[in-house]
Amino acid sequence: MDVSQLQRSWVEFLTALFNEGFLDSQFNQLLQLQDESNPNFVAEVVTDFFHDSERLLNELTGVLDQQIVDFKKVDSHVHQLKGSSASIGVERVKNMCIAFKAFCEESNREGCLRCLHQVKQEYFLVKDKLQTLFMLEQQIVAAGGSPPLM
Amino acid sequence: MNASSKSIKILLVEDVKINRMVMRMMVKSLGLEMEEAEDGQKAVDYFVGGKKADVVLMDRDMPIMNGHEATRQLRSMGVETPIIVLSADDSQSNRDVFLQAGADEFLQSKPPSRKELVDVLTKYGLY
Repeated sequence: MDVSQLQRSWVEFLTALFNEGFLDSQFNQLLQLQDESNPNFVAEVVTDFFHDSERLLNELTGVLDQQIVDFKKVDSHVHQLKGSSASIGVERVKNMCIAFKAFCEESNREGCLRCLHQVKQEYFLVKDKLQTLFMLEQQIVAAGGSPPLM
Repeated sequence: MNASSKSIKILLVEDVKINRMVMRMMVKSLGLEMEEAEDGQKAVDYFVGGKKADVVLMDRDMPIMNGHEATRQLRSMGVETPIIVLSADDSQSNRDVFLQAGADEFLQSKPPSRKELVDVLTKYGLY
């Protein structure tokens, strides 16, 4: 594929992510913050988000697996995940965290476990999508171009 | 941007690392300086240590000391720096607690848009 075809694919893929609710306007803000002096800003911050999120999801799994659940800990982890997903603009993950927080506040274990399952689903879905987006970007750069400005 | 904006320093009080990374880049894009405190206690320690900032961006939910208490303590210490709240909770009760504690302003969204941040800094003569 030539550069312009790759760039079109990138735009179409990204547009679909917004239309399907995976990403919101905050992701656009991140793209706009990226420039020549920080060409990898989005990939770096999203990669950090992946690491932090998986750590938090693992910790949530452990805490909710206990006989006596420490809902304060659950709430603290969900708060972190909600905040970071809002900063990245991964809308569906953020929205699931809002629902998750509500169950935490009720000390509702079953509700929390359902939310954890759903947050994991949404997180891994969007992770896969974003990794595809970054792969398309790498293909554009390898072909001698750069991702279009949105 | 005002000619004096280059010397403007923001203190961001925020516990979530990713949030700090994004705000750091946003503030950098405005040509401003930023220092960071990971919780309210560190924000208080910042001023107790004699450091200065032109504006404080204050989160609410943080470990060790939350934003409400940090705001209260900063005001009781005599810190007059504008405190602008970054909180996803835009309920009246949250605003009331912050305003009673001494906060000056609320941003409408968290994270704020670049425009929102510019507008509020401009309002306080900082951009």
